[in-house]
Amino acid sequence: MRSDDVQTAHVLVIGSGGAGVRAAIEASEYGETLLVSKTLAGKGGCTTMAEGGYNAVLREQDSCEIHFEDTMKGGAWLNDPGLVRILVDEAPERVRNLLRWGAVFDVTDSCEVAQRPFGGQRFPRTCYAGDRTGHEMMMTLIDRLHSTEVRVVNEVTIVSLLKDSERVNGALGIDRNGDFSIFLADSVVLATGGGTKIYDISTNSSSGTGDGYALGYQAGAELIDMEQVQFHPTGAVFPYDVRGRLVTEAVRGEGGVLKNATGERFMARYDPDRMELSTRDVVARAIATEILEGRGTKNGGVFLDVTHLPRTQVETRLPVMLEQFLQFGVDIREEPMEVAPTAHHIMGGLRITGHGETTVPGLYACGEVAGGVHGANRLGGNALADTQVFGKRAGEAAGTAKMRKNEADFGQIEAVRKRLEAFTVGDVHPSTVVRSLQTAMWEGAGIFRNAANLEKTLGIIGHLRTLRLKAATPANLVDCCIAGHMLVCATLVVKGALLRKESRGAHVRRDITQAWDGQNSPYGHTYQSLSREGIETEVKS
Amino acid sequence: MKELSVRVFRYNPETDEQPHHQHYLVTVREGARVLHVLHAIHDEHDPSLSYRYCCGSGQCGSCAVRVNGEPVLACTEEARDGMTIEPLELPVQKDLVVDMEPYLAAVSSLEPGEEVRMPTKEEVEVIKPLRSCIECLACVSACPALRVIEFAGPTAMREDMRLSLDPRDSRDRVTEAVANGLFTCTSCQACWKVCPKDIEIPGKAIEKLRALANKKGLTLPRHQAVERLVRETGRSVDRTETTFLEQVPEVLEPYGEVKGTVGFFVGCMYNMRLPKTALDAMEVLRRNGIRVIIPKEQICCGSPLIRTGQIGYLKTLQQRNIEAFVHRGIDTVMTMCAGCGSTLKNDYDCPFRVMDINEVLLKFEIEPPARLPVKATYHDPCHLLRGQGIRTQPRELMSRVVDLVEMPSICCGSGGGVRSGVPQEAAALAENRRKEIEKTGADIVISSCPFCEFHIQEHTDRPVKNITTVLLEGYREKDKKKAPKDWA
Repeated sequence: MRSDDVQTAHVLVIGSGGAGVRAAIEASEYGETLLVSKTLAGKGGCTTMAEGGYNAVLREQDSCEIHFEDTMKGGAWLNDPGLVRILVDEAPERVRNLLRWGAVFDVTDSCEVAQRPFGGQRFPRTCYAGDRTGHEMMMTLIDRLHSTEVRVVNEVTIVSLLKDSERVNGALGIDRNGDFSIFLADSVVLATGGGTKIYDISTNSSSGTGDGYALGYQAGAELIDMEQVQFHPTGAVFPYDVRGRLVTEAVRGEGGVLKNATGERFMARYDPDRMELSTRDVVARAIATEILEGRGTKNGGVFLDVTHLPRTQVETRLPVMLEQFLQFGVDIREEPMEVAPTAHHIMGGLRITGHGETTVPGLYACGEVAGGVHGANRLGGNALADTQVFGKRAGEAAGTAKMRKNEADFGQIEAVRKRLEAFTVGDVHPSTVVRSLQTAMWEGAGIFRNAANLEKTLGIIGHLRTLRLKAATPANLVDCCIAGHMLVCATLVVKGALLRKESRGAHVRRDITQAWDGQNSPYGHTYQSLSREGIETEVKS
Repeated sequence: MKELSVRVFRYNPETDEQPHHQHYLVTVREGARVLHVLHAIHDEHDPSLSYRYCCGSGQCGSCAVRVNGEPVLACTEEARDGMTIEPLELPVQKDLVVDMEPYLAAVSSLEPGEEVRMPTKEEVEVIKPLRSCIECLACVSACPALRVIEFAGPTAMREDMRLSLDPRDSRDRVTEAVANGLFTCTSCQACWKVCPKDIEIPGKAIEKLRALANKKGLTLPRHQAVERLVRETGRSVDRTETTFLEQVPEVLEPYGEVKGTVGFFVGCMYNMRLPKTALDAMEVLRRNGIRVIIPKEQICCGSPLIRTGQIGYLKTLQQRNIEAFVHRGIDTVMTMCAGCGSTLKNDYDCPFRVMDINEVLLKFEIEPPARLPVKATYHDPCHLLRGQGIRTQPRELMSRVVDLVEMPSICCGSGGGVRSGVPQEAAALAENRRKEIEKTGADIVISSCPFCEFHIQEHTDRPVKNITTVLLEGYREKDKKKAPKDWA
């Protein structure tokens, strides 16, 4: 750890996925903006991996009201209705921004943006660029970012937010060599994405380690509904090392069917009306049940079949799927895929207002790290829209915030330095801790939950948190810090799951029987912060 | 689980004077990718190993490395025992981590104009293949031009073409591309062959941009001169000596039993610059029972025009050449120029089969030549190796005559109009070849393309010979050895 580098700006954005870059683009209209990314900007995060699409109401026959209802129903009415209203109202204009900036979406013969059906929606409103929609958006956003004055700092991992009494006024990061960077800003936008890397089987990129939940929580922000973890129904099951890799919902949107090992189209027993295009929580549970009850394939999955579709449809609408499976010797035009659920998205996150304000002054959040938009289950296609709608809003709010004189609190910096120094004399490799955590979370806080297993998991996490992490070289300080973030994130998920004594959306408590469905639940959000935790029980109006 | 032995490039500029390779024995699962080997090293053996990765599923372009010299994505390439893992050929920051930022910054961004018209479905379909780029920089690592001359690089050219196709962009990308080195590409196709997304940058971007540059009058004067020559004479080079076509009859009968018949597309270079080499090839064919039909009205295949974006006269050339062979009822046309072969195979819609001479010779089970006491190295012509996928056949033929020493397959600089258009670059690339040739310690250089043979010969003191010339020498040696017995 050598000399500290201090950089100041009006707005500091942490994260370079869809939400972070969108926020930075917007914030740069109002003042000097700095974007810090733990990867090369645009390559990290999950936006670039998002395949299926972006939900927006673009046709006369569709309406924002229907999109609103679909989203609330899909989210088991746990969503914050105000945030959902904003999402559905502004998603169309945000996709038009992308189109103006050069996004190459698929279009119809009449030159309108093409849309495909997705689960839980009554209108085919998912816009797409083949099955590389998120990548297309990211390319466009990075293009746009280059034409702004935003300063980009690549490959620096934020390990702590900095505060000036009650206000967040910066952040502290370390680079590949373990050197400190200090960032000071009038407003700080957290756009760090999700954290399902805390599970053994996950769709997330290496950056999905829950950094933002941990950073926000430790800075005093309140988080809601952290127990709401979406298990995507269809992840790859082999080879072992790529298990969990996303198999896009677009496969089912294009007409793919699910069958168990006996060849039965089992969704008929779980949701005969919507079949494969039911919501993700329902399909994931159906697949998990088929496998648990012995009707899975020998690789531990079920079949997802597109062989009945025209070959050209598979080649043009699902090229990434075709390419990825071919690498492992499966030609999806000729034989079915094998799939099983995989941890995908955290619906919970920092509590925000419609302007992305968290409960801590100076700190904003957008994208997956924020909670409330998707309730207890996110509809496929709503996350990409979320990144753009709330990325813009958070960027704008952060940009219009008052200019201040920001000074670093060297006490806080010293405290971080001490925490990091402890890693140089630790004795457990972070990768060992992470693997134990991932296994414990998958076994004890997965699709089907009960209090006993959750308590046991919390105990394991508690033990892992007592271990002294070891940084073998300065480069490994980052690994230690990220393992720490994952432990905090996992704790929040498990504690949230214990707080919510009902089954709702993606959160299923098998030890609890209840007399209500999501719409009639007596419960609201779970909430956790340094100062309080609980579950809202107000009767809904 | 299986055990793999791998070598990994290690370099920490802060502590190491020189890079070195470290050997590791790792245990991974069946189906593991290169990335999982790196994880195993980092987690189980040596946490100081630095490498970049992110999505783990071939979508973000963070993890490109070279495995046994070839750029690949670590997350999609299957791990193999004995492999060597090295960084891309870009400035190394630490171990396998290279500085990608300057190359990513060189890629242009769309600048929307005042009035925006959305692309039509047809336009989207043309743009899409250029848009799947994940900016992993495998192409930049593989591009030989970038090592010797200022050039924005293959993926930057790809984006320039994508932008020039997009009605929303307001800039003149073609003129910018010319300024950024559009004419420095030798069309060696190394970028395409290493691209994990299989983006055909030379054909779908570089040549298309050059065609757009042609419409703007930006074609290089020396390329324009070639085009004029083709229009006026049907040939891309001028006549300086008796041509091959002037020296042969229309049908060359073999010496013995007829095993097969091919039409011969000779090409401008063998016809007018290296006719002796083509005559050697005819001898080899006749000796092996292959009848050769040589239509005299054949003309330039058009390759020099396609590569330089001057396609106005191409249709005429294609029609006349196809007609020359169809007219004689020929079902197999043989090429011996790698450029002509690649053009006939990839840029023509031929009603007959096209085969390179290496393919023809192997198909007809040729008579074994005598071995020559010669150590030779082989230069892979780009348009044979990458343009036609012909790698093993010439090696199989050569190894029957000489001792073969391999050298890396890298462009010599003669293609894509670079030899005439940017001669200093062509010379620099050939100089790199000279060094590689020297390293092998070979007595001679063998190739199978007139452009490569002609160009490399100008830069090395070792004789550069066509593969058929060497075969013929092998036959002559055999005859010589046989002769005394006959006298006895």
